Amino acid sequence: MTNLTRRKMLGVMAAGAGGVAASSLMGTSAFAQEMRIRHYWWGNPSRDERTFKVIELFQENNPGVEVAGETVGWSDYWTKLATQTAGGNMADLVQMDYRYLFEYARRGAIQPLDPYIGNSLDVSNFDQSALDGGKVDGQLYALNIGSNTQVSIFNTRLIEESGAEFDPINWTYEDLMRVAVAVAENTGATFGTDDLSLGYVFWEDWAQQAGHQFYAEDGSIGGRPQDLADFWQMWTELRDAGAAQDGETAISLLGTGMNETGLVTGTTAFSYMWSNQIVGMQSLMEDTVGAGMLPNTGGGSLGQFIKPSMFMSLTRDTVNAELATQYMSDWVNHPEATAILGLERGIPASSVVRDALAPSFTPAEKVSVDYFSAVQGKVGALPPPPPAGAGEVNDAFQRWGTEVLLGNMSPLDAATAHFDEADSILARA
Amino acid sequence: MKKFLQKNAPGYVFLAPWLVGFFFLAAGPILASLVLSFTKYDMISPPQFVGLDQYIFMFERDRRFYKALQVTFSFVFLSVPARLIVALAIAMILDKGIRAIGIYRALYYLPSILGSSIAVAILWRQVFAGEGVLNTILAQVGIDGPNWLANPSVSLYTLVTLAMWQFGAPMLIFLAGLRSIPQDLYEAAEIDAASKVRQFFAITLPLLAPVIFFNLVLQMIDAFKTFNSVFIISNGLGSPADSLLFYTLYLFNEAFKFFRMGYASALAWVLLLIIAAFTFIAFMTSRYWVHYENERD
Repeated sequence: MTNLTRRKMLGVMAAGAGGVAASSLMGTSAFAQEMRIRHYWWGNPSRDERTFKVIELFQENNPGVEVAGETVGWSDYWTKLATQTAGGNMADLVQMDYRYLFEYARRGAIQPLDPYIGNSLDVSNFDQSALDGGKVDGQLYALNIGSNTQVSIFNTRLIEESGAEFDPINWTYEDLMRVAVAVAENTGATFGTDDLSLGYVFWEDWAQQAGHQFYAEDGSIGGRPQDLADFWQMWTELRDAGAAQDGETAISLLGTGMNETGLVTGTTAFSYMWSNQIVGMQSLMEDTVGAGMLPNTGGGSLGQFIKPSMFMSLTRDTVNAELATQYMSDWVNHPEATAILGLERGIPASSVVRDALAPSFTPAEKVSVDYFSAVQGKVGALPPPPPAGAGEVNDAFQRWGTEVLLGNMSPLDAATAHFDEADSILARA
Repeated sequence: MKKFLQKNAPGYVFLAPWLVGFFFLAAGPILASLVLSFTKYDMISPPQFVGLDQYIFMFERDRRFYKALQVTFSFVFLSVPARLIVALAIAMILDKGIRAIGIYRALYYLPSILGSSIAVAILWRQVFAGEGVLNTILAQVGIDGPNWLANPSVSLYTLVTLAMWQFGAPMLIFLAGLRSIPQDLYEAAEIDAASKVRQFFAITLPLLAPVIFFNLVLQMIDAFKTFNSVFIISNGLGSPADSLLFYTLYLFNEAFKFFRMGYASALAWVLLLIIAAFTFIAFMTSRYWVHYENERD
């Protein structure tokens, strides 16, 4: 050892490094790469944990196969996906949303799944409606991995303490006013309900209840300025009565996650979202949650609809479509995989999977499933996907809504301004 | 050529890391964005050439572009002088030869290192929230503070305060500048019975002018490019009601939220021209107020 000089030592290290480099080059030879697929999704902690477990399971059942999971939050997801699309290095499988499905399909970024059905991909137990929701121009571009619908989530303890009663599956905004005032007055919660003045989804529901399809077939925004003015006016009345959060609180919650909703922080008894989020909300709360439809305007039309909450799509850049579709198939059929996934992404489209899951539901999953069954027949048809520019209209809506919340504009003036801006956004997109 | 190299080689060696980064990493994308600014490009389908359409739309029809300019200009005009004043004040205090000055310098420099980080922006949200730290303190003295981040008429000031707090970099440069002012000038002024205020305006400020100018240009460019903090504090939206719609945030959303790469590239080039114009104006006016010691006039 004594005659090991510095120079020799460096030589040894260089040789070692070279060897490592060479072996890693061999490790990524063409053959090995084909057995390695990538799966990219937007998630939350609970979803990520479940998904990685399914990946492990798939790797155990298929020795020699590697699945690389990549996950980010919703808002960064689309940025990264678009960048990867432009760069030609999309993951083999990507999670897809109804809003973006048509754009990605028509531009050839994702592939039709029809050639794989009956071979590597089994959808024989799927509800027809779930398959239809993933079709673009007659071909299946997106596999439904869960369905959901809009929901009012409430804190059952606070409702009970308030002494007010209502039928969650058939209730009106007058009922909401009455119950929310009772909650604010009789319980420890500061307000009765979260404020929805900046909630685009709920304005859509309101407009659809007034008989306007949202978005209309021609891609124009649904409803009339007067409808929106009525919507904002009603929330103004709820705020004035102390039933809904004050305007500044509502504004400061814009863009924050479910952990900051009034329901979770205990400052209100009602929050509103999509039904697959019931399970996630319950996991953040000690009180038991209940689920109801969105309040009724008495307008006569059906406002809510059942929507594919998430899809999985096979991309143009896949390295092994056969393997990727086989993984996809396990996702929606394999008893263990579907048990791990549960209802976190929404209600499964396969009736066999639903029946298999039923006996082992957690209380929150039970609430979710019971709610989903209760709304069947009380919801309208799935509206056409939103046009390009819809995301921007949503942002514009929040800006004008902010002016109403701050008392800077009357609901009608803000509504008129919003419709003007929406028209020019949609004309440009 | 040989003479030039002999004279300037050490300079280029010191610049080398930056030059390598610029030519091998940044130059390509910069040129690509210039080309893209004449196209319509959504990242999924190939870019379509549209000539000057993006620029025409920007100046003729885009109201939010003007809103973003207004917000950004307000921020630059408020935050840059504020930050420089704070930096100079702290530098003058530290220049007084306090014991363990190294510790103080490091402590005061810390916010500028942390300042652009996500953690500090999140902290800032907590400080200025409706039931945040600031309002809790104000409540102690009987003031009912607004929800600073939900109120468009005050939200910008929260960002200005954050910028003021990040005075570290200009402060260090001021400190070096103060150290290089000959002490005998002050001694002579003392003998002439000039007050401290008089000394500040007659000696410190004029002799510090080159350093002030340098800091002004750097901080101005920096302020135009503010992004991280406002992205976090306004939830990436520029809310409430576009009162925090910084130019860079608007640009980012156009590019990565609405996938208008062509338009965002055009916005980026307009921002470049605006910054260049302001820097040019600063240089043009500097001859009237900045005097260099080795200048003969």
